Amino acid sequence: MIESITGGYLNAPITGVILILIGLYGLMIKRDLIHQVICINIISPGVVLYFTGLGYVSGAEAPLFPNTEVVDPIPATLMLTTLVIDVAVTSFALALIIKIEEIQFGGDED
Amino acid sequence: MITLLVALPFLFSFLLSITTYFDIGRIYRKTIFLTGIFAPIPLFLLKIENLPIGTVLGGWTRISGIEVAIDQVGFFFLLATFIVFPLVAIYSLSYFEGEEEGKVSNESKFFLMLLLYGSLVATFMTRDLFNFTVFLEIASLAAIILVGSSDTEGAKLASFRYLMLYLLSSFFFIFSVGIIYVKTGYLNFHLIEQTLVMDTELKVAIVIAFVALIMKAGIFPLHFWLPDAHSKADTPVSALLSGLSVKAPVFGMLLFLRYTSIEFLTGPLMIISFFSIFFGIFMAVFQTNAKKLLAYHTVSQMGIILLAISVLDIYAAAHYVFAHALFKSGLFLAVGPLISSEGSRNLNKLTYRGRGSLIGAIIILSLAIGGISPLIGAFGKHEISMRLNGLSLYLLYATSIGTLLSFSKLNFELFKSSGNGSERIDQRIEKMVVFFIALLTISFGIYYYPKFKPIDVLFIGIALGILTILKLLHVLEWDVPRFYRRDVDGLTKQINFYTMAFVLLNILLIIFVLKIYQL
Repeated sequence: MIESITGGYLNAPITGVILILIGLYGLMIKRDLIHQVICINIISPGVVLYFTGLGYVSGAEAPLFPNTEVVDPIPATLMLTTLVIDVAVTSFALALIIKIEEIQFGGDED
Repeated sequence: MITLLVALPFLFSFLLSITTYFDIGRIYRKTIFLTGIFAPIPLFLLKIENLPIGTVLGGWTRISGIEVAIDQVGFFFLLATFIVFPLVAIYSLSYFEGEEEGKVSNESKFFLMLLLYGSLVATFMTRDLFNFTVFLEIASLAAIILVGSSDTEGAKLASFRYLMLYLLSSFFFIFSVGIIYVKTGYLNFHLIEQTLVMDTELKVAIVIAFVALIMKAGIFPLHFWLPDAHSKADTPVSALLSGLSVKAPVFGMLLFLRYTSIEFLTGPLMIISFFSIFFGIFMAVFQTNAKKLLAYHTVSQMGIILLAISVLDIYAAAHYVFAHALFKSGLFLAVGPLISSEGSRNLNKLTYRGRGSLIGAIIILSLAIGGISPLIGAFGKHEISMRLNGLSLYLLYATSIGTLLSFSKLNFELFKSSGNGSERIDQRIEKMVVFFIALLTISFGIYYYPKFKPIDVLFIGIALGILTILKLLHVLEWDVPRFYRRDVDGLTKQINFYTMAFVLLNILLIIFVLKIYQL
């Protein structure tokens, strides 16, 4: 079905955009803090997939030997930074949720 | 050499973070903190003789290297940082001394403040889209954690809301960086400028980037996170957030204004800026919480900065950023001692009676934020008004009157109530810092704009007149209705709604751009 929507042409950037839209939809309707953090974590790989896909060259090598035709390394390296920040931010968001629940519900129940 | 401006704060913040594993005295930690804050300043003073300066790290070419530079625009951002941050650091040493140690230790707050310092300086020096994104993220994250580390009721909720909205806008910003990279092939702004061909895709990318930056700068209609985050944080942190942290996205807007073309976007930006200005003032007038009143004025003042960007005046924007950093941080720091001695943020309980230097400072800073000449606010506002005519010029005058009205109310309430708290003895340093900032707003104001405009007296008169009428009609006692409850349920609904608003603004502006293109 997806193939019929994208005309049989589903590459990394388009998949990324679809993931971003799914995450946005979740962020607009989900009524749970954990769900919302997960939705943000769906948008994030969407952006990473989109960005990394931009540097992809069909049939090219990994950028290790400069003589051969290689994919663009810059998007991949930049997305590494984004992913690292993302992991840290997610853990902080989850910690914050624990604190919020503790304050609201007393924190004694497990 | 200028990279040391960034490296030193980061180095000392790292040192401060590892001291938590060793049993060393507080005084050493405070010394590390202050060294980290003050170390870059002599370097900065040495370098400002011959602006602009710039370098590409490691001797690479622009294409493969990372470029940093200080020019006449970045200078004002850096000057604001290097004035406000040290003063807030001195203030916070005294402030946190008097406060009870909360669940988060003061040393961790100092570590985060250093991190915020280093990343802000880096943001104001970068000429590269991706480094801008990364340093903006570090700065915002440090700010978010600082908000969350406050023990004020509701600070955690404010921090979470800030976090989610900041992440959402960050991902959209990175998405637009991707489009710009594909269209131009570069991330360095100089190289982008050389290969720039403004077509529809690039316009859409710039629109998405601007909406993300508007969210990060807390401008109406995407200001939702700002009032709570800025008012619930500890007072020195509020001063840093309202004074400096919201200026980082503005610097991004100025980079776009300088190196790409945003003429196609000026109309919507001007409309957004006026909405932001008047919405901020409207909400501020009805607040009874002193810090929230100031936070809503940040929404309003950021509108004025966006107005400067919408008239494509890069220097006016930089000058007003500098002015706002001074008087807004000063105002937050000024209400801090009042709040800690009364133990309340309610304007009806706070008072500045019997505190000579604070009265003077708050009145001077209130006049500065109203744009009264020859104080610092007048300079940038005058430059913006030169670019406006007709209705927009009168709206800018109305801004001054509205801001003065709101601050007349603040001063009136602070003068009226008698208060019952006892003055703490150790507030001397706090008062001195505030007074010093007030003096700076006067001296920089006279240095940059040594004129007195008689019309300003008329503005003060009108503002006082309107305040009297509103007081007589008891309009100011009206409670602004709350749409969401202050709990987890309300928070999730807020995030739902705010995401929709963010997406909607994106869609509206993109539709606007596409239509213009077809015409």
